[in-house]
Amino acid sequence: MDPAKTPLGKMLLEEITPVVMVLRTPLVEESCLKNSLSFIEMLTPFCNFHNIDVPVRTSSDQPYRLQKFNLRLFYESDIKQPNLEVAKERLKQVITEAGERDSSELCTDLPDISNVLASSKSEISPFWFEFFNKELVRTVSFSEHEAFDHPVACLLVVSSKDEQPINKFVDLFNTNKLPSLLNDGEMDPKILKHYVLVHDNQDGPSEKYGCLHFLVMATKILAEMKNTFGSNGCDLLCINSSQVEQIEHQDNPWAPYIKDLIQELTSKHIIPYMEQKVRVLNQQVSATRKGFRNQIKNLWWRKGKEDIPDSSNGPMYTYSSIESQIRVLGDYAFMLGDYELALSNYRLISTDYKIDKAWKRYAGVQEMMGLTYFMLDQSRKEAEYCMENAFNTYLKLGSSGQQNATRCGLWWIEMLKTRDQYKEAATVYFRICSEELLHSAVMLEQASYCYLLSQPPMLHKYGFHLVLSGDRYKKCDQIKHAIRTYRSAVSVYKGTPWSYIKDHVHFHIGQWYGFLGMYDVAVTHMLEVLACSHQSKTTQELFLRDFLQIVQKAGKTFEVLSLQLPVINISSLKVFFEDHRTYASPGSTSVRESVWRSLEEDMVPSLPSTRTNWLELQSNLLPKRYKELNICVAGEAIKIAIDFKNPLEIPISISSVSLICELSAISDETKYGAYYFNADVDASCSTAGLCNDEECNNLREIIADTSSFSFSEVNISLGGGETNLVQLTVTPKVEGILKIVGIRWKLSGSVIGFFSFGSNTVKKQVATGRRKVKHSPGNDLKFIVIKSLPKLEGSIRALPEKAYAGHLQHLVLELKNQSEFSVKNLKMKTSHPRFLNIGNQEDLNVEFPACLEKKTNVTAHANPKKISHGVFLFPEDFSVQGENPLFWPLWFRAAVPGNISLQVVIYYEMGDLSSDMRYRTLRMHYNLQVLPSLDVSFKISPCPSRLQEFLVRMDVVNKTNSESIQVNQLSTIGSQWEISLLQPIDTIFPSESLIAGQAFSCFFMLKSCRKSSSTEENTSSLSPRIGSSVSLVPDGSKEAPFDISSSPLADFHDCERLQHRISDQEAENTVDFILISRPLKSNIEPGISDAYHVFSHHACHCRQECANFTASTSPISWVVHGPQTRHHDFSTSYCEINLRMTIYNSSNALASIDIKTLGTTSIGDPSSDATAATSGNQVGWHDVSLSNDVKIAPDALRTHVRKSLSSESVSPFIWSGSSSTRVQLKPLSSTEIPLQICVFSPGTYDLSNYVLNWNLQPVNGHKNVGDRIQSSGTISGYPNYLTVLPSD
Amino acid sequence: MATTACFIIVSRNDIPIYEAEVGSATKREDAAQMHQFILHAALDLVQDLAWTTSAMYLKAIDRFNDMVVSVYVTAGHILCICDFKCYRDKKTGENGE
Repeated sequence: MDPAKTPLGKMLLEEITPVVMVLRTPLVEESCLKNSLSFIEMLTPFCNFHNIDVPVRTSSDQPYRLQKFNLRLFYESDIKQPNLEVAKERLKQVITEAGERDSSELCTDLPDISNVLASSKSEISPFWFEFFNKELVRTVSFSEHEAFDHPVACLLVVSSKDEQPINKFVDLFNTNKLPSLLNDGEMDPKILKHYVLVHDNQDGPSEKYGCLHFLVMATKILAEMKNTFGSNGCDLLCINSSQVEQIEHQDNPWAPYIKDLIQELTSKHIIPYMEQKVRVLNQQVSATRKGFRNQIKNLWWRKGKEDIPDSSNGPMYTYSSIESQIRVLGDYAFMLGDYELALSNYRLISTDYKIDKAWKRYAGVQEMMGLTYFMLDQSRKEAEYCMENAFNTYLKLGSSGQQNATRCGLWWIEMLKTRDQYKEAATVYFRICSEELLHSAVMLEQASYCYLLSQPPMLHKYGFHLVLSGDRYKKCDQIKHAIRTYRSAVSVYKGTPWSYIKDHVHFHIGQWYGFLGMYDVAVTHMLEVLACSHQSKTTQELFLRDFLQIVQKAGKTFEVLSLQLPVINISSLKVFFEDHRTYASPGSTSVRESVWRSLEEDMVPSLPSTRTNWLELQSNLLPKRYKELNICVAGEAIKIAIDFKNPLEIPISISSVSLICELSAISDETKYGAYYFNADVDASCSTAGLCNDEECNNLREIIADTSSFSFSEVNISLGGGETNLVQLTVTPKVEGILKIVGIRWKLSGSVIGFFSFGSNTVKKQVATGRRKVKHSPGNDLKFIVIKSLPKLEGSIRALPEKAYAGHLQHLVLELKNQSEFSVKNLKMKTSHPRFLNIGNQEDLNVEFPACLEKKTNVTAHANPKKISHGVFLFPEDFSVQGENPLFWPLWFRAAVPGNISLQVVIYYEMGDLSSDMRYRTLRMHYNLQVLPSLDVSFKISPCPSRLQEFLVRMDVVNKTNSESIQVNQLSTIGSQWEISLLQPIDTIFPSESLIAGQAFSCFFMLKSCRKSSSTEENTSSLSPRIGSSVSLVPDGSKEAPFDISSSPLADFHDCERLQHRISDQEAENTVDFILISRPLKSNIEPGISDAYHVFSHHACHCRQECANFTASTSPISWVVHGPQTRHHDFSTSYCEINLRMTIYNSSNALASIDIKTLGTTSIGDPSSDATAATSGNQVGWHDVSLSNDVKIAPDALRTHVRKSLSSESVSPFIWSGSSSTRVQLKPLSSTEIPLQICVFSPGTYDLSNYVLNWNLQPVNGHKNVGDRIQSSGTISGYPNYLTVLPSD
Repeated sequence: MATTACFIIVSRNDIPIYEAEVGSATKREDAAQMHQFILHAALDLVQDLAWTTSAMYLKAIDRFNDMVVSVYVTAGHILCICDFKCYRDKKTGENGE
């Protein structure tokens, strides 16, 4: 590429051109100003020659033709270094004007970065940069250290009206008016002079004659000039030749004249003059500096000058010095296009200046060398090196070199740009940023465009430099420029995850738009920074405050789609609605659906598909799609719960939170539906921004249409970082399809935010309250609204949240039906019948706890409850309707300690058969905490002396924290047991109540009084609960015992039995206890209970522990009665002792029993020992609790005794009488057998050496007896000690 | 001698995944965004250079005024970039040019 055709080449051909100094008289200027032009302005257009075609011969003999040539014209007063301040002011004006012109763009949409990249180079950077750069370059013109700005020629212009024009010409070139360059000896004052006489044709009288006369006068002056200054250097220029009246002109009426004048001046005077000078100087330079000898001489001479003190500019060089002449030679050669010659001279002078430490001149020469290399299009590296060298050298000079460095940098940049080295160009731009903000703002902006243009585009750097530039523009109050740069930066940083960057850019551009009063755009940007949780608290405050200020200034309410404050957590969205399942309290919905389902299983009519089948009526009308929709009932609220989170550390206030809903009639849903599904798709790809698109209008429409439903509005205020669950409701009023579209809210009372569920649920899962998402989540927010239905509302009055175990309470279930239609076929089921029992209707108004007490006239249940599979059926005539609530009694008993989740389901059917739903269920849920109260345990052991009687030990521990409990009554269940106190209660339990933590034991006698009956066994669980009771209250109290055989105690007891269900066989011979206790009234903790409290404690299936000789293993039991000590005088005879054995057959079969007494030899027989050891007798020995109490366990220490006996008792005894006795025993009967022993010496004897063989013979109709119980067995006798003492 | 430095780990799509500011210098209000801007801008150079060299540690890859940016590029092209600045307190100003 021809360097001359590059931008830099063109610039150089324009800027580094001969300067012509113009000296003129005021009258000349006056004439020119008639055309509103200065003299120079008049001439300048003709100073650019594109094809001048002048032959030039410089140093070589070979001439070449010069095509492009320019002249620069300056008045003598302008030939000086421009004033920096003025220049700056002018630059600022340029920028400001440019900013104003661009301002229309500020409102347009943001540029997209891909579009920016696609646009051409010239479009990217603003047009005024070129102009700005040119101005910047010109601020350093006419420096003394370079020669190309030095005037080559001087144009002296005098008007024909001037008096004594010849003298004027002389006066003009007067030294005191000339620029300092000439006067200070920086340049040769002997320059080419050219004399021009300007003749204004309009001057003088208007007649043609007069005009001609003046023209003649002018010609005369010209002739005179030619005589004085030589014929070559004089010209006459006639201007304003057209008549005033004459309107139409040729296109360029005077152009040919001026053009000719200038062309002649250039080609015939200036160029030859320069040629001549180049040749002369070249000869001089060759003579003094070229050649080996000269160089050595020069070096030596320069060294000698080293003692010259350093100044920043080095030594002063006058025009006559050889250095200046070389420089002039180089510059002239450059201007004439002889770059080879120029370069050789620049090289020559460069070393000289370097040695002289004339840094500014050195830098200037280096700069020119770089440019010359460029124009020669050779050695790019050299060119760049020179430019960099020059640039650095200028910078080293400090402030004086700054402007030059800038110019040098700009040329260097152009050089780099020409070679597509944009990245390097950008760094140079960055380096020429000076202290001055405006200047560096422009440079940084240009740098950013360089980054954009580099290959590949460096967008990160582009954005960064735009931001840097924008900041500087802002500091210079160039807000429009600042916005322009930031707008471009936003296109880079749009959606960046670099949060601080994004915040900075959007916040500032928003703020600046706010300054300009463009609030709409400002708000758009400000919205981006609202969710700035990563920022510090002060920054957050600043952002929010500025945002609200702008909104306020805008003076209108903004509607924003997807406002970021607060953050809405869509995954927390919960939808609560009631179809056939209704809920008594909000807490009920938290229970899992499966729990409810299993409860309802037995009540709800079984249908193939529970969900849609009751819609059979509509299923023909409705498209299949609707079957998947949720159902709700007109007039019943749908609740939405969703989390609002404040991401900031500062509190924000949210008002008017409400749902956006849309209700359409079913018939037109088909077309609407399609429309909305499309809308959903659109919404998902729409971006954040002000609400001005179609969807938003859509939303607004929806909001406006609120006639068919009503919704709630909530105001909340969120503290820093707080999350609030917002509950919203919508209640449809008419049938149709209801769709919940989204939420709207108002932030700080000024900005309305919308949040569309549809747009987000596409990505995120909706967790509905009670239903897994099986289909598209959008459908979860769509409901079919059906005709209004009766809905039962139920509550259990006064159900405690906390209770002590055993706590018994009378409750009332209250049912209400607000609708006018009745409901019927009510059913009810509770999840924990142990806790909640359904009472009888007549229990409703009973007085508690008086009703628990035994009544004199015990009647059978008049109205037995209908319970099947635990489902309670309300009476058929029971219906709920209208205002009056209905009540039903319930019994509550805290069965076991712990946290209980209690569910109650009530099923009901619609009275009106035409309704869309046949039945509904009411689900009630209560959470209950049960605290431990009395811990009751029973131990039963057989009475040692009596058959069918047992000792019962009851251990009671008060496990409450503070409660004192009075134990009232102990009852056994079943007619076969009778219980009685062993000792009077006031002797064993005088304090009457148990304080917290106190334990208490009490003994009872339990007597089995079972009569033979085979039917009882089978119905043991449902046997009439005629038990026996013992009052544990001292006699002074007159309280009647509680009736354990009637509801509710009996019912609860059944539940307990069911809970601890054991097989019938095991259930036989077990006993159930109910302990009734009451907390002492004085000590009641507030909040837990009120005045009348009864605790009932149920112990089921208690059995005796030692299974050694009772019916649990063998149906035969016996007792040997006899004296325990006997005094006998052995001197007279041996002792005879009579014993009686009572044998009892507890089985239902005929038993034959064979009693065999054994000889004494068997005592100490190891085999019998072994039998004893394996017979199970020993089981009881190890019982720790029993061993403590010797009194009721007289055989506890048996082993020791026995062992000692076996070694000690040498004197035997013998069984006298028959050695074998056989008896037959009827079922459940006893008999007595006399026994006798003979003792021969005093001592203690164990009378256990006998064996009972028994055999059961089934009675008629009881063949299965043998299957259940052992039919025969052998039992050895139990230890029975007899001490015989010698009588004195 | 006060220092300020910022360390950011950047995933492949220019997403910052970890950010830490260290250094003894008193924190400026706009320090966080300044660091982000500098490091973000340096990504351009990293992307060019990372593919031309086998070295994983690219020392002083970019600079902005007196902040020097160095990068460690992992095999998965996760960038650990860090900028660092040392400046003397004007009062002490001992060792230095």
